[in-house]
Amino acid sequence: MVSPFRRSGRAVSVAAMLLLCGCSREARDIGPSIPQTPPRGATDPRIRFYQDNVYQIAQGGRYFTWYGCTACHAGDAPGVRDLTDRQWRRGGTFDRVYASIAHGHGRHRYAARIPIEQLWQITAHVRDLPRHTPEKRRRLAVDQVGEPRGADWPGPVR
Amino acid sequence: MRIPALAVCLSLAACAGAQSVLDPGGDQAQALFSLFGLMIGVCGIVYAIVLAGLGRVLLRAWKRPVAMADDIPDDRRLDRSLPVAAAAIVLGLTVLIVGSFLADRILFTGRQTPAVFVRVTGHQWWWRIQYRDPASGRWIETANELHLPRGETSRVSLGAADVIHSFWVPAIAGKLDMIPGRRNVIDLTPRRTGWFRGQCTEFCGAQHAHMAFDVKVDSPAGFRAWLAAQATPAPTPGGAAGRGAQVFAGSCATCHAIRGTEARGRAGPDLTHLASRRSIAAGTATMTRGNLQGWIAQPQAMKPGTSMPAVTLMPADADAVATYLAGLR
Repeated sequence: MVSPFRRSGRAVSVAAMLLLCGCSREARDIGPSIPQTPPRGATDPRIRFYQDNVYQIAQGGRYFTWYGCTACHAGDAPGVRDLTDRQWRRGGTFDRVYASIAHGHGRHRYAARIPIEQLWQITAHVRDLPRHTPEKRRRLAVDQVGEPRGADWPGPVR
Repeated sequence: MRIPALAVCLSLAACAGAQSVLDPGGDQAQALFSLFGLMIGVCGIVYAIVLAGLGRVLLRAWKRPVAMADDIPDDRRLDRSLPVAAAAIVLGLTVLIVGSFLADRILFTGRQTPAVFVRVTGHQWWWRIQYRDPASGRWIETANELHLPRGETSRVSLGAADVIHSFWVPAIAGKLDMIPGRRNVIDLTPRRTGWFRGQCTEFCGAQHAHMAFDVKVDSPAGFRAWLAAQATPAPTPGGAAGRGAQVFAGSCATCHAIRGTEARGRAGPDLTHLASRRSIAAGTATMTRGNLQGWIAQPQAMKPGTSMPAVTLMPADADAVATYLAGLR
C-alpha cells in the first residue's frame, strides 16, 4: 500500500523531470569535443547538436553580427541576399549552407577567417532565420544592439 | 588563550591586500570605511546596552523570583525611561543618517574636478576601457587593466554591452552597476600607489567569477607616461613575430584590433599593448608566454563558455602568434 503522500511526491518528481527535459534544448557542450571538420553531407550526426540547440543558434546569431554579415544580409536585404525567404539557390541542407558561407563569398574567404565551430553555429543560425517571427526578429535586434558589427562597435547598449 | 589570539591575528591578516574595503587606498573607499566604523560603533553601543539590560533583569529575577501578577502594576520608572530610550534610538539613527549623507557627498560630488575621463564597458566576460586623450580628445582603448593617477580624480563612465555587470574596486571606491541602456558615473580618487584588484560583482553568466581587472595607481607623471605609451600604435614586428602578425591578420583580426596594423575587429579586447598588461582573459591567468599560447590554442579549457573560439592553427603558427603577442609591449 503506497501512502498518498508518497504517490503525490512521485507525481511531483515526474513533473519536475518532464520540465527539466525542456532545458536540454539549451544544453551546451564546452570543451575539446567541438567539430574540427566541416559537415560531411546533409545527414552528418553532428548537425542535430547545432540545428536543434537554441544556445548554438543564438551564438551563431552573435557571430553573424560580429563578422559583419548584417552589412549585406540585413533583414530587408533584397534578392539573393535575403536569407529569410526560404529560397536557397545553392541548396538548403546544412552542408550546402555551410559551404556557401565558407566558400561562396568570393574574395572574402570566410573559411580561412572564421573558426570551424563558429561556421557550424552561423550555419545553424542562418538556416533558422526563415523560421523567425517578426517578434523573434525584434527580440534579436534588442539583444544585439550593443554588439560589435564587423570593424565597428556601436558602443554600450543605450 | 593563545589559539584564539592567533586566530584573531590570522583573520585580521585577510583585511589587508589588493581587494579589501578594510584597507582603503582612496577618498571614496575611506569615506565608506569611516561610515562602516561609525556603524560598527553605534551598533556596538546599542548591542551592549541591550545585553546589559537583559542581563540586569535576568540577574534580578534570579535573585528574587516573582510570581506572575494578574495585572501589570503601573511603573513610574518605566514611564520615565521610555522617553529616554526613544531619544537614544532617535539620536543613534540620526548619527547614522548624517554619517551616511556625509559619505554620499564625498562619493557623488567629489572634492575635485576630474582630471581624467575614462569609459568602462562590461562585456561577457571582460572590460573594455577607454581613456580620453586630453590633448586630442580621441579615445585610447585598452582592456582589463585600469591605470589611475594618484591624488587626482578620475571620472569613470560605466556602461554595458550585453547584460548587467557591476564595477567594484573595493580598495578605492564603492561598487556601481553597469546597466545596459544607462550610463552610471563613478569618481575614483586613489591616494596610494600600487596594484589593486577589481571584480564584477553582479552575476553575469558562466564566467562571472573570471571577470576581474587589475588596477594600477601610479604617480601622475608615471600615469601620463603610461597613457602616452598606450596611445602609440603597435611596433612593427620582425622575424618569427612577423610571421605571427601575418597569421593574426588572417585568423584573429576579425575580432581583435591592434592599432597600427590591418587588425580592426571590435568584438574582442584591443590587443595593441597586450604584453604590457599583468593578466590575460580578464584576470583568468597571469601574463606569460605559455599562458598566452595556451589561451590561443584552447580558450574553452581555460575559461569554459568564453566567446573566444578555439582557432584551429598549425602549432608553428600558434607559436608565431604567441611570440608576436608577447612582444606587444
